[in-house]
Amino acid sequence: MPVFKTPFNGYSVKFSPFYENRLAVATAQNFGILGNGRLHVLDLSPDPSLPIAELAAYDTADGVYDVAWSESHDSIVIAAVADGSVKLYDLALPPTSNPIRSFQEHTREVHSADYNPVRRDSFLSSSWDDTVKLWTLDRPTSVRTFKEHAYCVYSAVWNPRHADVFASASGDCTVRVWDVREPGSTMILPAHDFEVLACDWNKYDECVIATASVDKSLRVWDVRNYRVPVSVLNGHGYAVRKVKFSPHVRNLLVSCSYDMTVCVWDFMVEDALVSRYDHHTEFAVGVDMSVLVEGLMASTGWDELVYVWQHGTDPRAP
Amino acid sequence: MASQSHSLPISTLQNTGGEIAHTENVDQHNSEEELGKRSSDASVFVNSEPMREDQIQNAVKFLSHPKVRGSPVIHRRSFLEKKGLTKEEIDEAFRRVPDSTSSVQTAGVNQDGQLKPSSNIQQQGQPQALQPIVPASAGVITSLGTLSRRHFHWSHALIAVGLLATSGVGTVILIKNSVLPWLKSWLRNVVLEEGNNQFKRTDSKPTLAEEAAQAAKAAAVAAADMAKASQELLSSKIEAKRYFVEVVSLLDKQVKEMKLMTDAIRRLEASGELYVSKQENRQVTQTSSKIQQLIVNGKSGYESQSVRSSSPPVSVQASSAPHPKSYMEIMAMIQRGEKPSNIREIDDSPPNPYQQPSNPRLPPRPKPWEVSQLQNTSTQVLQYQANGKLQDSGENSVPWWQTKNIRIKEIDNEIEYNVASAASNQQAVQRLWVPPQPPPIAMPEAAEAIRRPRSLVQKEVVQDDQSAPHLSEFSNGSNSEDAIEGNIINSLVSSGKIQNHEESYEEK
Repeated sequence: MPVFKTPFNGYSVKFSPFYENRLAVATAQNFGILGNGRLHVLDLSPDPSLPIAELAAYDTADGVYDVAWSESHDSIVIAAVADGSVKLYDLALPPTSNPIRSFQEHTREVHSADYNPVRRDSFLSSSWDDTVKLWTLDRPTSVRTFKEHAYCVYSAVWNPRHADVFASASGDCTVRVWDVREPGSTMILPAHDFEVLACDWNKYDECVIATASVDKSLRVWDVRNYRVPVSVLNGHGYAVRKVKFSPHVRNLLVSCSYDMTVCVWDFMVEDALVSRYDHHTEFAVGVDMSVLVEGLMASTGWDELVYVWQHGTDPRAP
Repeated sequence: MASQSHSLPISTLQNTGGEIAHTENVDQHNSEEELGKRSSDASVFVNSEPMREDQIQNAVKFLSHPKVRGSPVIHRRSFLEKKGLTKEEIDEAFRRVPDSTSSVQTAGVNQDGQLKPSSNIQQQGQPQALQPIVPASAGVITSLGTLSRRHFHWSHALIAVGLLATSGVGTVILIKNSVLPWLKSWLRNVVLEEGNNQFKRTDSKPTLAEEAAQAAKAAAVAAADMAKASQELLSSKIEAKRYFVEVVSLLDKQVKEMKLMTDAIRRLEASGELYVSKQENRQVTQTSSKIQQLIVNGKSGYESQSVRSSSPPVSVQASSAPHPKSYMEIMAMIQRGEKPSNIREIDDSPPNPYQQPSNPRLPPRPKPWEVSQLQNTSTQVLQYQANGKLQDSGENSVPWWQTKNIRIKEIDNEIEYNVASAASNQQAVQRLWVPPQPPPIAMPEAAEAIRRPRSLVQKEVVQDDQSAPHLSEFSNGSNSEDAIEGNIINSLVSSGKIQNHEESYEEK
């Protein structure tokens, strides 16, 4: 399986929704504490013996914490940068024309970015300044700011079926469900007793959310009955950093954690842990499952490596 | 007026509890009607529970607590949200408990107002100073009791000082008015007794003079004692005042220090990504000691890339993962104020902020879950539709990241498969990449084997393929409906790793 070595510590990896062999990686120097950042766009080669090729790389003054692909333009990526800016890059334009936009509105680090998969015209950014902002490509300023959380918002994710609904996970230990047509949040889930670092919607059941927390567990919730989780997934040794539901299998989700492993779970089964990959030698911080290729997953971590492999195979196999 | 207004917050809760319950019931009915209408709009992302009275009561008690009154509103809301209250319940609780900021101010004013009348009473009635003073001080005490610890600091200090003053003056007056005469009378009696004794023994006149002298001496001594006592009282009062001021200033310092610490830790967290809960100062101090421990551990050194701290994770609650050694080095550098040397000055601003994005070359592709919506998802057993339908006629050369689709399907799926292929044929125009067809059946026996019960077949497949070099052949078995079998395969593939992993976890 091919591996890519980034010069900086990896933070996030996302597959392109247009090209099966393309992915973007967000990296930050010095573990993201203080330093530059770089956004890589990589292409997998059909021949597994060839290494991963770098299509483009964009340098930023501060670390890039997250990346998101546009659903409307196949060449546009969004970078969530630690200096509070949200930057847009167009791969089809020459590097000297990039970035094409830099939205500076957040007052603290932008931790995540997510593009609307239904309307395909807007995207969210969530920041450590406790807010979530809604943007469109054509407007120079944010469309809306959602300010209700009491602490850093680590993740904001669109619902895969409802165009106006999204969920946000915050360090104030709650997950909020929002509707952009409403003035405030519509639901508050007291998801964990500790900071919630990530959340994701089930692609096949629009009411199911998975949350990942510092308390080392993942919890799966149904918003129709949100007092009790549907499932509690234990098994990680440290804080769980990211969670993603599989785009192809209803009950499958993947998570990565500070225990350096990437785990795949089936939350409807008693023994939920399906597989565990411990290929990273530092915190595993980013993970993604491809929407176009079933079973294809990628992960990155602070060990400056990006792995791409098929579920069921060994990521470190040559 | 002043005294009435300060007791109002408490009495409203007690007296008008019944009224509030009544109005809350009315509100509940209204809200239920509203929610009934809203639920018919079929939005599942809205909380449609009625407000829970017990939760609201708990919230009201929480918000009425004097310590809570001093905290910012956002922290109070966040606490209640974490406890699981809905927005409506939290708003209702805030509505019931009177606004904290305004009530604190009126409390301060009330305390000052009560001090003045009490001091007035003192000055007016000195002979009857006892009785008025006692009720005044009692009044001050009750006001203290009712407003106890609401808004610390100055009003409290003023009351205490005033109390000390009144009690000091009161005792002095008391001594002057009652103790002294009593003492004098007692002295007189003693002297008289002595005088009587002496009178029996000696002449009257000289003894009278002596008596008088003795009485005078005794009186003088008593007066001196009195003077000393009153002086001591005054000095003790001054000392007490001084101590009090000191205590207040120390508490202020502590509060400032705690604020500084929380700020520093917040900064550290932001730059250093230590995810720690920050609810109480106690935990804050725990984390700061933890940071120090981690730094110590990091410096005590291990060269290898794999990072496992030798000491077990420290705290009970949110155990912070052992950070890599270089991470701790960078954190230490930043704490010292140094900047890491590898940072470059980069200008990442857009060269043309109005640059038009290039035209998209590909239309958006439908998502797997959207495609599956086209078909009937009647039974939940058929979880696994997505890949089955995407099998149109396609390329022969398969990139390594595609699965080799030796898929073991149930017979039931074939019907879905046909429907799926029909549906996806319509969309074939949109797709650039078409997944490859499954390889033709090499062995008819294998095809028959596929029809047999799955558990046997999969184990056979596993055994057959263990010797095969390509791991991808049975790669996606784990995605099938039977996660247990997926476990078997995966455990065979990565058993060594999993075992090692469990061992390493047990070490901790």
